[in-house]
Amino acid sequence: MKEFGPLIHSFWYLLRGAEMTVLMATSAVVPATILGVLLSLLHVFGGRLLRSAILGYLFLIRGIPLLVLLTFVYYLLPLTGIDLPPFWGVVLVISLYYAAFISEVFRAGILSLPQAQWDAARSLGMTRGLLLQIVILPQALRLAAPPYVSLCVSLVKATSLVSIVGLWELTMASREVVERTLAPFQIFIGAAAIYFCICYTLALYGRHLERRVLLGH
Amino acid sequence: MPFDPHFIARLIPALLEGAAVTVELAALTMAICLVWGLLVALAQEVRGSLGWIAGGYIQLVRNTPLLIQLYLVYFGFSMAGFGLSGFASGLLALCAQNGGYVAEIYRGGLQSVSVRQFEAGRALGMRRWTLYTTVILPQVVARVIPPLTNQSISIIKDTSQVAAIAVMEIMKITEVWVETSANTYDVFLGAALIYLALTSIAGLVGKLTERRLAFAQ
Repeated sequence: MKEFGPLIHSFWYLLRGAEMTVLMATSAVVPATILGVLLSLLHVFGGRLLRSAILGYLFLIRGIPLLVLLTFVYYLLPLTGIDLPPFWGVVLVISLYYAAFISEVFRAGILSLPQAQWDAARSLGMTRGLLLQIVILPQALRLAAPPYVSLCVSLVKATSLVSIVGLWELTMASREVVERTLAPFQIFIGAAAIYFCICYTLALYGRHLERRVLLGH
Repeated sequence: MPFDPHFIARLIPALLEGAAVTVELAALTMAICLVWGLLVALAQEVRGSLGWIAGGYIQLVRNTPLLIQLYLVYFGFSMAGFGLSGFASGLLALCAQNGGYVAEIYRGGLQSVSVRQFEAGRALGMRRWTLYTTVILPQVVARVIPPLTNQSISIIKDTSQVAAIAVMEIMKITEVWVETSANTYDVFLGAALIYLALTSIAGLVGKLTERRLAFAQ
């Protein structure tokens, strides 16, 4: 038990880092979700030009690591003279990045609904807005919920990358404590345990949603 | 000054050297994970403590950030007396994390084959080995190719994180060159293009494999 002294001493500090991680993740997930849903709708219903623009965006995001984009913004912000606090800079990058993945999940949800539903709604004389609002979206969102929650887990894990560009959150806090106490094993296991509690709770919720989706069919 | 040809002529070989390390790391990770993930997936099917351990392992690695796992291996092991090089630590952490994901992919593939096919095979008097090699596995292989392709793309992107433990791959070289040359745009553009090329090649190889195996569907 004596070996875990450094962890017990600094646990409160790590928890404050975790608070920052959660704050960062929630600040990023809200705009990412809104943008993701918008992009998926534009992807499915937009014109050819819009669709190819979105495809280009997806190609870039799918092919470039988040860390490259985060570091780029870190070096870019001082050059351009944009006065954006680093916290909002990384939140912006993370949300733009995850919006792409979220849009793919929602698009899959929309496209997986059978054609008969579209035909039925149209033959009832529904306008496109009404069709989306009361037939397509409620079902598509429910179908997309489980993979969406997995993406949220991945987003929480991705916030650890901001420590590389010097922002303070759980990973940075644990690195600071390691430098002070020289007990990397204990401290990083502690940090991993905190991440696990956050992510596993989310993952369990995702599994619960998945079971509900399966029941609905 | 951006886009200086002399600078670019020196930059490209340096980035390609990093790309070689990235490719080596990603290819080794993928190769090991294909086997390791299968072992974990099979272990998870076993009733009793082995299955329980495999399931716990998958949840643990999937719900903690790769960066923390990297630090744990790199700094934790060296403190415990058996230090690994940056490359070896990176490989170990990448395999640990992605093995969990690959195991889930295999499990999903096996579960997607209908129970009726097992029953039909048995009713025809097929031996277990024949049933698996001629009926079940060809379908599983065809079905896991698309998610495995995605996983390999995500592995290529994940390798950028080993820059944090000073492995000279694309990301680390990018950082060094930006710091020493202050030519931010060129260096990041070069790094992004190389990552896009690598992930596109991985995607293409996946697509070709998928097409070759299309007969199994």
